[in-house]
Amino acid sequence: MAAATVSDSVPIETAHEDMIHDAQLDYYGKRLATCSSDRTVKVFDVIDGETQRSPGHTLKGHTGPVWQVAWAHPKYGHILASCSYDGKVLIWKEQQGQGNASGGWIKIKEHTLHTASVNSVSWAPHELGAILACASSDGKVSVLTFKNDGQWDADIFTGHAIGCNAVSWAPAVLPGSLITPQQTPAPGQPPASQTPIKRFASAGCDNLVKIWGYRDQSWVEEETLEGHTDWVRDVAWAPNIGLPRSYIATASQDKTVLIWAKDTPTSPWVKTALDPSSTIVSPTGAPPQAGKFPDVVWRVSWSLAGNLLAVSCGDGKVTLWKENLKGIWECVSDMSS
Amino acid sequence: MATNSNLNLAPPLVEFGKFEDLVTTGQTISSTVSPADNSFAVFMKNLVRSLPSGVDHHDGEDEQPIYFASRQAVPSSERRLFLTDTLLIFTAFRNLLKSAPNRESNWVQSDAFVGMTRKLAIDYVNFIKECWVHASQPIPRPGGLQYSSDHYRSLYTCFSLFVVLFLPEPGDEGAPLADELVEWLNTHFIEPSTEEGDSLSALDKPWEDEIFWPYLTRAILRGLSKASLFFLGALQQHPSDNLQRLTSTLIPLIETQPRLVNFAAEKDFAYAMRRWSDKVKALRIDMDRVPENDRFDEFDNWWDRLGDIVGILEGRSEVLQRVCEELGADWKEICVAWSVFVDPRLRRQDLPDVVAQVISELPPDPTDKEDMIHAALFSGQAVEALQHACQLDPWLSAHLADLMESLELVDSCLDEDSSLSLRDEYILTYADYLHSDPALWRVTVDYMYSCGDVGKSRGDEILLRVPLQLHEQNSDVKVNSRIRAGEIVGVLKDVNATCLEYQRENVRRTVCRIAAQTLVSDKDYGLAISYCLSAEDWRGVGRIVDSVLDEYITGGRQKFTQYALAIAPSVQELRTQVGIHGVFVHRLVFAVRFARFHELLDKEAHQDAASDLIAIFSEDIAPTSWWAIVLCDSIPLLRHNPKLLFSSSGASLLLHKLEEIFICTSQGAGDDYLLGLTRMIQAKDEKEALERLKAVRLALAHYFARCLVLDTDRLP
Repeated sequence: MAAATVSDSVPIETAHEDMIHDAQLDYYGKRLATCSSDRTVKVFDVIDGETQRSPGHTLKGHTGPVWQVAWAHPKYGHILASCSYDGKVLIWKEQQGQGNASGGWIKIKEHTLHTASVNSVSWAPHELGAILACASSDGKVSVLTFKNDGQWDADIFTGHAIGCNAVSWAPAVLPGSLITPQQTPAPGQPPASQTPIKRFASAGCDNLVKIWGYRDQSWVEEETLEGHTDWVRDVAWAPNIGLPRSYIATASQDKTVLIWAKDTPTSPWVKTALDPSSTIVSPTGAPPQAGKFPDVVWRVSWSLAGNLLAVSCGDGKVTLWKENLKGIWECVSDMSS
Repeated sequence: MATNSNLNLAPPLVEFGKFEDLVTTGQTISSTVSPADNSFAVFMKNLVRSLPSGVDHHDGEDEQPIYFASRQAVPSSERRLFLTDTLLIFTAFRNLLKSAPNRESNWVQSDAFVGMTRKLAIDYVNFIKECWVHASQPIPRPGGLQYSSDHYRSLYTCFSLFVVLFLPEPGDEGAPLADELVEWLNTHFIEPSTEEGDSLSALDKPWEDEIFWPYLTRAILRGLSKASLFFLGALQQHPSDNLQRLTSTLIPLIETQPRLVNFAAEKDFAYAMRRWSDKVKALRIDMDRVPENDRFDEFDNWWDRLGDIVGILEGRSEVLQRVCEELGADWKEICVAWSVFVDPRLRRQDLPDVVAQVISELPPDPTDKEDMIHAALFSGQAVEALQHACQLDPWLSAHLADLMESLELVDSCLDEDSSLSLRDEYILTYADYLHSDPALWRVTVDYMYSCGDVGKSRGDEILLRVPLQLHEQNSDVKVNSRIRAGEIVGVLKDVNATCLEYQRENVRRTVCRIAAQTLVSDKDYGLAISYCLSAEDWRGVGRIVDSVLDEYITGGRQKFTQYALAIAPSVQELRTQVGIHGVFVHRLVFAVRFARFHELLDKEAHQDAASDLIAIFSEDIAPTSWWAIVLCDSIPLLRHNPKLLFSSSGASLLLHKLEEIFICTSQGAGDDYLLGLTRMIQAKDEKEALERLKAVRLALAHYFARCLVLDTDRLP
């Protein structure tokens, strides 16, 4: 790999009238949803890194800046969730048009139980059903479940009293388990081999990360991860990549990224801080402290295989991290504008 | 792999040097990972979440572009061909390994196995060679080559060296390897050059040229006997009698230098070697007798030059090393010459010691990845060789590691932290590179599924996200008709086959569910239901049946009949499967029967339609919410003239059901009975639906009256 690669990237004009807050590619990476302070969500087709000639769709319904968008698993259809400063979570569904054409997007659900800005939305692994977790500045976390009869159930509970910033689901299948299709389960019954666990992590303004599990028909706080010294801005649970171990990455206002690893379901979470001091030059020229990024870290996201972590830092750089064979996290690449 | 690399976007989001400004205005970049390949969507974002009324709300005319950047360059045409062609060999080797458990226990150590592995490794070498030859051809290429011919040449030298050192002919493992090393060196690093030879051979007195002695020495060093003998012959014309005499002794020595390949047993080779060395020693004694004043001509000290050659033939390592350095030869050439002259019985296992000695004096070039790979292979350091190979090309490290593991050159146990073996690590690094091109998904998963659990899970993620392109297919008329015939075609068929091949049942089921969902939104219910059945997604089947039934209410009976008949074959299939029950089966059976009833009505097969209608009730397959609709549909049959189509008991059954609806509705269960009808006739309330049902009652009353008048139990 060359030391500095120039990636010929084709800019895609989004036509948003104000700052974009989030952009998410769908399950196949074929469509891009963006949301902005202009209160809209836009959906584009992406082919080979370029938008198609069609102008895309604009989804209007929010009355404040839209912070985040999330695509549902395609087995539930083309469904998108968006959350906004207006305190609402909207669920959108694309209608099938003639032939290949999209028939446009309609709002199928308006979730209005939060009393302040909703900062983050995240769909559960598809095996668990069409379930959406939402984190709000009102301190509460809500979980929406789409039921077979077309109705939505909502659970809402206090997550981090002074505000919740992000949510991320645990993979549905426990590491190492495989399906056993010998026995045909009875219709309407889940496969007998294993019952997937509903579990997610939330990040809060109380500097904590909490892990929530669904037990006996209600959400209970299973664990609390303490380690950050300022607001936790983002949390990302790594996909199950066949390892016996689970990983959670968290990004914070305290300029650190922590990787939490759990060796077995019963062992404790062990944290490691990413150390960018050797690879990142701070814009001010001063070497950053060991284990600290030059600025607030806003976003952490895992690649599909869970082997690569993208970290967006306030210094204008996105860095990519990988755990090497010695178990040390190293920066493999960085991107800047 | 720990190379740090910067990825700069082109065109830049921010002008050079203005980055600071960007950060100070409170903006930064953010990115999202694409599931399709190794690319990222990158966009500008405010550090502080601004509100539209906030202070840092900026100009609405600014563009808000999103960029796509990829970690790797997507393989282009010639590269792609190379990647897909070598997959064939990789697959053949996997199949060979797969067959191992069926054979005797130590088969993997057997000559037969090693022989087959060697054959496949040579196939790799030949493929690389072809690609190198192709890339070297001066043909016009729009866009140029992604990898230069020199890159393929590097792969060629490395892979062929691996075969020479680690995959000898079965039985030759313990034999001296000089001949093979010389052949490898002479194939890939040609010295002395043909041009030099040509220019010298054109001269009458070639020894007058300054390149004469270096050329001759190197030709002898490389075992190029034809060229050596030619120029030694030329020295017979040299004015010095001494040189002429010595040359005439040297010529037969060069001609008869023993080569292992010419001997049946190594013992005989060793004996011949000793006798030959004695003759070389005799030549040295003869040389020493040449008087000092006849040791040079006008151009050179020929005696020193000849002394170097004899010193090499004598196997004096210090002479060899000095001469090689003077000739500009590198460590490789010294090592190879060592195996010929210094230690002609050098074996594979002893080579690393020699290499260590040589490279301590003349180390490989650390900036030359190819040279570093050669050095690691010569030194028997497989792990280092893989590290360097990965830097040169992840293709090389993956395919070397694959062979190395089965040859037990690298450890096959799992790393504690990554749960990956070294082989899997390199295979997955390569597969990750392949994933930069989503169109190579088949190749990508072939490599991933050759690994342990981690690799398999990664393969699943790739396979799950292969775009099924069902829409594109359906717009193709030809393909469309094949799909209608229940055939799985296109990408879905490939994905399905791949799942079956690698036993990824979980993935197959999820993909079927996604396909079913897409097909339902296209109203292609027949195919959707067969995918649901294939995925054993009973809830999905239930939802499809509900959608089809809904078509009757919202789209009318013609559409409904068409859709319901499309799902009819699935009823047959379900019946053949034991142990599947559930409400959805009932509803499915009802939908199909109800459609058949309407089909009969359309064909004016009234009598059959009437029997079907009665059967729907008597067999109790209609959901209660559908009773009202079915009863309404009975009106034309009740009014049918002149024949009476129902038996009196049949008509009584209809009346009985009708009464149940009225009674239950009056008891507050109207929702259960009238929901369908209410929706269909878009009634304001239950009352309106009941009004409609009164028409059924009237028709029944008429019918009973006609029965009475005609005084017959049943007119067939």
